[in-house]
Amino acid sequence: MSGIGSGEGFWNPIVWTLLALGVLGLAYALWLQGRRTYKRGTEQEEPFLSGERLPEEGSHIRGEHLYWGFVAGLRPLIETLRAFHTGFIGDYIGWLVVVLGVAILVVML
Amino acid sequence: MVTHAPVLAIVIPLLGAFALPLWGKLRRELRDLWAIVVGVFTLVVALVVAVKVLGGGEVWVYTLGAASPAAAVVQGGFPIRIVLEVDALSAFMGVIALLAGIVGLVYTLQFLREEEGKTLAMSLYLLLWAGILGLVYTGDLFNFFVFFEITSIAACGLIGYRTWESRPPEAAFKTMVMYTLGGLLVLLAVGILYGEYDALNIAYISSKVTGGLLDRIALGLLLGGLLMKAGAVPAHMWAPDAYGEAPPSATILLVVNTQAAIYGLSRVVFTLFGGVLATPGVGWLIAAFGVLTIVVAALMALVQKDLGRLIAFGAVSQLGYMLLGLGVGAASLMTGAGFGQVALRGGIFHMINDAATVGLLFLLVGVVQRAAGTKELSRLGGLGHVLKAEGGLFLLGSLALAGIPPLNGFASKILIYESSFHLSPILAVLAILSSILLLAVVLRAFHSVFLGPKPSVLHVERTQWGTILAMGTLALVIVVFGLFPGFFVKHLVDPAVQALWAGRADYLAAVLGG
Repeated sequence: MSGIGSGEGFWNPIVWTLLALGVLGLAYALWLQGRRTYKRGTEQEEPFLSGERLPEEGSHIRGEHLYWGFVAGLRPLIETLRAFHTGFIGDYIGWLVVVLGVAILVVML
Repeated sequence: MVTHAPVLAIVIPLLGAFALPLWGKLRRELRDLWAIVVGVFTLVVALVVAVKVLGGGEVWVYTLGAASPAAAVVQGGFPIRIVLEVDALSAFMGVIALLAGIVGLVYTLQFLREEEGKTLAMSLYLLLWAGILGLVYTGDLFNFFVFFEITSIAACGLIGYRTWESRPPEAAFKTMVMYTLGGLLVLLAVGILYGEYDALNIAYISSKVTGGLLDRIALGLLLGGLLMKAGAVPAHMWAPDAYGEAPPSATILLVVNTQAAIYGLSRVVFTLFGGVLATPGVGWLIAAFGVLTIVVAALMALVQKDLGRLIAFGAVSQLGYMLLGLGVGAASLMTGAGFGQVALRGGIFHMINDAATVGLLFLLVGVVQRAAGTKELSRLGGLGHVLKAEGGLFLLGSLALAGIPPLNGFASKILIYESSFHLSPILAVLAILSSILLLAVVLRAFHSVFLGPKPSVLHVERTQWGTILAMGTLALVIVVFGLFPGFFVKHLVDPAVQALWAGRADYLAAVLGG
């Protein structure tokens, strides 16, 4: 009822979930063995951001800045893809013609 | 009523759509009550169809225009009437349309405000629902085109009816142009086949096609039109515009409308031309477009700045997984390789998973926009302080979209990964890498919207019970389908897979006899 065969293998989410819970339990048990020097309400609770002083009102790294380096690395590819997404309906139709041409070519082969 | 269930499943929402504004003229409460009655009756009759076809393993042929719906279609060796022909795949698509239709209706009833054009939105919604059910139930090629057009008109209306804003009409116009061109390609193909065989019945034409030049042109035209409506890259560009600008209450059904085009592709490739496809070229074509869709949409989602468009590109990438599963299945049809069935199982299972996952995320986009007054990621943040349950649901939907175990997205994707690996490892590698990329994308969205300091100015309305019920239902589907995929694959997906893989003879025999 739970598992499915994938041809070569097998996927059983109930077994996976039980294993995942076991791993989480093990991690928790290991965490309990750690030092108990944590003090509430002290500077230990403040977030550490590369030693920078944080503004009083708090700070939030916006989502647009996440993966900046990764996106910068992919920039040539992404800019090319962006250039295709012009927003002009004429271009949309052009790409439909391309898809149609490829489809007809393949079925003719 | 049971005898007429297939046609009632189309007629009830169709007539309900046109009658709804009249009730609205009398009283708004009567209009809402009417929508509920139409929704419940449609649910009942379509469930009757699903139970009979999926449970009984039969192909249900409903003859229109005859003294009895069970009357013979073929007389003197020729089909003379229009038929609805519901096999397990059609019934499965009907179940998806039911799930999305009911959830979207419940959400619409409470979420949309009168000043947002609620009457118009609900009318168009019911019309789109009727069109989708007709598209997946019909056994007639011309009616397939008619329902293709009904869904297109209703979808464009839903996207662009808010004419007091600038972007929705523009998105609707672009979608309308693309849908019209796609519809014309389908109509041209139908015309060619009608000219060749003097018939429009899918089963009859399927028994006659020879794979000659005109047949191939018709196949190419059908592939072009349906791949566009399925949102395949590079003819996908209308989809993010449409999904991003449509009201969130309607987007879930727009996604199912796109899936109906993938159903159409399956019907064309496996049933209509299933007897003459001698090479795996068409399967490879669909698989290639599928993997291209997965990669390009995931990369584009990474750089979106609007939450709606981000989820829209994520939705397009999910359509790529379905196309990949369908393509791998079609490519291996000739050889009968076992992995082809696994690919189809994954692709078809992913349809219902995608409807729940993407549907949930789009409903949440509506809640976020209502709460914060914007969908721009740079202006969002900290909503988790006030929308705790919604944040949890967004995370759940995001993880399911990225295919993280043990949620439903993983169960269908693993079938697609393994089977596509057999056809070509590069297909599987690209699909897996894109899933990882999608995980990064959706976590970025979650981080942007729900994490961070509490916004100083935020007027959050309490989420209404109908909205919670709709989103909770989809979340339940995500979890239950994820934890018990075996049950749903056995009772829902496998009959649909067999209808495609080995059910062509039964589909033809149900109409033609023998």
